[in-house]
Amino acid sequence: MSELAAVSEEEYAKVCDFLYRRTGMLFTEAKRYYVQRRLSERMAFLRIASFATYYAYLRSDVDGEIEKFINSLTVNETYFYREEHQLRCLSSDLLNERAEAKRPGEALRIWSVPCATGEEPYSIAMWLLENWPEVDVRDIEIVGSDIDTACLTAAREGEFAQRALMRLSPGLIAKYFVPTGENRWRILEDLRRSVQFTSANVTDRAQVRAHGTFDVIFCRNVLIYFDDASRRVAAENLFECLVPGGFICLGHTESMSRISPLFEVRRFADAIVYQRPPEDGHG
Amino acid sequence: MPLIRRPSPPVEAAAPSRSLTEGTADQRWAAVRAAAERPDAVPSLAAALAQESDPRVREAIFTGLARAATAESAEAVAAYVRSDDAGLRRAAIDALRAMPMASRPHLPGMLADPDPDVRLLSCELLRDLPQADSNPLLIGLLERESSKNVAAAAVEVLAEIGRPEALPVLNRVAQRFGDDPFLAFSIKLAVDRIGRS
Repeated sequence: MSELAAVSEEEYAKVCDFLYRRTGMLFTEAKRYYVQRRLSERMAFLRIASFATYYAYLRSDVDGEIEKFINSLTVNETYFYREEHQLRCLSSDLLNERAEAKRPGEALRIWSVPCATGEEPYSIAMWLLENWPEVDVRDIEIVGSDIDTACLTAAREGEFAQRALMRLSPGLIAKYFVPTGENRWRILEDLRRSVQFTSANVTDRAQVRAHGTFDVIFCRNVLIYFDDASRRVAAENLFECLVPGGFICLGHTESMSRISPLFEVRRFADAIVYQRPPEDGHG
Repeated sequence: MPLIRRPSPPVEAAAPSRSLTEGTADQRWAAVRAAAERPDAVPSLAAALAQESDPRVREAIFTGLARAATAESAEAVAAYVRSDDAGLRRAAIDALRAMPMASRPHLPGMLADPDPDVRLLSCELLRDLPQADSNPLLIGLLERESSKNVAAAAVEVLAEIGRPEALPVLNRVAQRFGDDPFLAFSIKLAVDRIGRS
């Protein structure tokens, strides 16, 4: 492990400001060790000794350094069927309600953002195949997006360690995965090809809008990384790419009501979710 | 497999109107959101806010001003903390909270406002400031506060972020409002918490 690079208070503030402007992620003094550790690792890898040199390298985005640095800072550990109650809510309530509003042949669109290494969008796909009776008569598009491009590469590969599968029954693992080595599993080719993976930062309006509109968005445990202003921007971006009546599911510690009044709270048997009002009722 | 995959179609939104104050609410929303991405948009957003009646568009304007986080944007928002419309007051406070450093210069005036509602709402903004800034402001407010509700709001914030120098004023407030059991309870809680921290 590399030693911690010497970074002054001013330099730390500089790099945090740079990260905030590029990603909306807010790193406070409390995260200093974490950021400094990642910084040191990048500097050691590039054989750069001084912060000033690295910062110039970063700002100039030499060899895609901005993306590499951001990738090193994102937390991507997750697992299949995480927060299963929201998946139950998806198949019991949300999709039925959205399906009723669709024209014949119109696809239901689901967005998992951020999707990390793909566990969530693949979980959604598996869950619907197993638990939503209409899955055979409806077109369903699932898109997984993340700011971390290394994660997206892994997601497209669809290979996972045993640990990511800890919530799945042996039957599900046998049905949807093939073993690739000791404690390694790869998701079935058909399933892998059914999920589209793209790069997106939820605070970037143009990137979000490029994804079209969705019926359900899973946006779990990312807004907590933003400050109030970026959270509001992200909420409005997500509002814009939900169809009227569409739903957004947040992580269990997050509340949209504390971020934006644009959404209505919907309480279902399995989960509380947020909804873009079905008809905005103005215009 | 019923799951399909195809390239995402971009969002089909209403074309933004050329002005932030003309067109349908959807068009104004689109215009405001596009304008908010430009650093020079504060004057036009502030002007639009004065005319806008749609809550959703207003919210987008507040977000745009909060995102700018300049002295000018904070000043434009702070004016609405004194609005007669409770929703607008609330939205203004939320926007000021989203730009704590830009809001900071407005706090002494807001905490001394003749309207107790303005003083009460302003107390919430102090939670997000460094303690060295927030404690003197809360102490100053409590020294002169005549409204029990405002005093209770300030005490509640002090219970979270108070430092030992706030203890004397808390004792004086307890004497001034000695007949109010809720305030007495809140003050005891704040004193205990500050004492333990």
